[in-house]
Amino acid sequence: MNAIETHDLTRYYGDLCAVNHLSLSVDHEVFALLGPNGSGKTTTVLMLTTMLRPTEGTATVCGHDTVRDGELVRRSLSYVPQDMAVDIKLTGRENALLFARLYGVTAPKDRVDELLAVMQLSDRADELVKVYSGGMRRRLELVQALVHEPEVLFLDEPTLGLDVAARATIWEHITALKKGGMTIFVTTHYMDEADRFCDRVGIISRGMLLALGSPPDLKARLGNDVITAHIDGTFRDPGVDGIMLFAFASDEASFLAENGREALPVLADAFTRAGIKVRALALREPTLDDVFLHTVGTPEEPAGFDQTKFRTMLRRRR
Amino acid sequence: MRGVVWYIERDFLRWVRGRVAVFSALVMPAAWLIFVGLALPIRFTDNYLDFITPGILVMTMLSAGLSGGTLLMFDKILGFLNKFLALPSPREDILFGKILFVSLRGLIQATIILVIAVLIGASVYSPLQYGLTYLILFLFGVLLSAFATTLALYLEDHDSFAAVNTMISMPLFFTSSALMPYSVMPGWLRVIAMANPLSYAIDAIRAVNAGALPVAQIASLMILGVVVTAVSVQVFRRVTV
Repeated sequence: MNAIETHDLTRYYGDLCAVNHLSLSVDHEVFALLGPNGSGKTTTVLMLTTMLRPTEGTATVCGHDTVRDGELVRRSLSYVPQDMAVDIKLTGRENALLFARLYGVTAPKDRVDELLAVMQLSDRADELVKVYSGGMRRRLELVQALVHEPEVLFLDEPTLGLDVAARATIWEHITALKKGGMTIFVTTHYMDEADRFCDRVGIISRGMLLALGSPPDLKARLGNDVITAHIDGTFRDPGVDGIMLFAFASDEASFLAENGREALPVLADAFTRAGIKVRALALREPTLDDVFLHTVGTPEEPAGFDQTKFRTMLRRRR
Repeated sequence: MRGVVWYIERDFLRWVRGRVAVFSALVMPAAWLIFVGLALPIRFTDNYLDFITPGILVMTMLSAGLSGGTLLMFDKILGFLNKFLALPSPREDILFGKILFVSLRGLIQATIILVIAVLIGASVYSPLQYGLTYLILFLFGVLLSAFATTLALYLEDHDSFAAVNTMISMPLFFTSSALMPYSVMPGWLRVIAMANPLSYAIDAIRAVNAGALPVAQIASLMILGVVVTAVSVQVFRRVTV
C-alpha cells in the first residue's frame, strides 16, 4: 500500500478543469508536483487533504479514502498551506502547543519542546511570533505539522518568499524527515530545489500530468546537451536536423542536441546562413528547467516560431 | 470536545494581547448609556437609565456576537481555518470554540457596562436577578455568534461580512424595544419590534428586573439558539474550501 494513491483524480470549477484525471502513487519519498501558477497543484493538495471534494476519481492517503474516511486521512497527514498562518500575537511555543493539544498528543509540552529543539527554535520559543523572521515562521509551521508524527506531510510552496539560507534549512529538515520514513509531498515552482532535493517529480500543466520521474531520468530523457543562444534582433528557428529548438524567451533560444560539441559549429553556421546575429552560444547539461520548458512549453511563443514543426518533432521524440 | 477549550484559549490570548480592541468595543455601548440614557428628556418613565440599561446590555452582546463572524473571517483569510479544517479533531469544535469565546467575551463586556450603569445611577438588583440576566445575555450571545460565524464561513471576503454586519446590527437595534416601550411606539414599529429577537432578550431582562420569570422569552431564545446552532454544526461538518 502506497502512502498516497490517486486514480483519475479530477476537479472542475464550473467549466474549468483544474485537475484532469491525475493518477499517481507516492510512497516514502520526497515527491514534488511542479507546474506553472494555476496549473492545479494546490487543488490537488486540497483534494488529498480532504478539504475539497473531487469531481471524479478517487484518492487514498495511507489506505484511507479521502472522501469516505476524512477523519482517518486527516489523522495520518499534516498540511502546511502556503499562507504562513502562525498567530503573531502568540509565542512560538503557544502556537505549537495549540496544535499538539488539538491533535490530542500525549505529553504535548514535551513533544513541543523536543520539536522546537529540532527546528532550532528553542531559545526564541517564548517570544511572540511577531518578531520571527520568515524562515523561523516556516520552521514553526513545521513544528506544528510534526507534533502528531504524521505519516504523510503536505507542503504547499514550502520555500516561497524565503531567503537562500532559510530555503536550504527547510530542505535539510525535509530531507531528514524523509530519512525517518515519512512521505513528503511538496508543490513548488523552484526547479533547482526540486532537482536537488526531490526523489521524484511530476510536471503538471493545465491540470494534466505531463511528465513523471526522477530528476536525473527526466533530464536523461530530454537528450544529452542543451545549447543556448543569445540572439540580437528577430529570431526564427534556423532548422538544422538533429538540433531541436524547445524554448525561446526574450532573447534566449534553447536547443537540444545529441552531441553538443559537434552541434555548436553546425548551429553557428546555420545562424550565419539564415542571417541571424548571435551574441553568444553556450553548451551545458540539461537542467530540470529545460525539462519543464520542454514539457510545458514557453507561455508566450514568439512570432515566426513554427508550431507544427515543433509538435512533429515532439511526437518523433516520444 | 477538548479541542473547544484550546480554540477558546487561543482566541482569548489573542484578544487580551490586542489591548486596544479590549476597550474599543466598550466605547459605543458606554456612550449610549451615558449620552442617551442620562440626557434624553423622556416622559414615559422617571428613570430612563433603568429602562435603557437592558437594551444597552443586549446591544453589547449583539456587537460581541456579530464579531464572532469577523474572527472567523480573519481565520479564513489568513489561512488558519484551512489548517484547522485539516485537523482530525471534529470540525464543529471550531464553531463551538468561537460561540463560547464570543459569548463569554460579551458577558465580560456586559459586566463592565453594568458596572458603569450602576455607577451613574441605575438601580441595583438581587444576585438572582443578575444571574437570570446573565443567562438571557448568554443565550442571546450563542444565537448571534452561531449565526454570524456560519455566515462568515459562506461569505467571500471581509468587506462583504462588514457590510452585512452594519446592514443588520443598527436596524435590529432600532426596531427593538431597547429605546422605548411598546406602548409609545407607532403601530408599525410595534409589529416589527415584537418579532425582533433582540426584543425577546430585552423584554426578558426587564421582566427579571421587575421581579417576574420570563419563561416564554427564555424558552424562545433557547429554541432559536438550538436550531441555529444545529444548522451551523451541519454546515461546519460539511464545509470544503
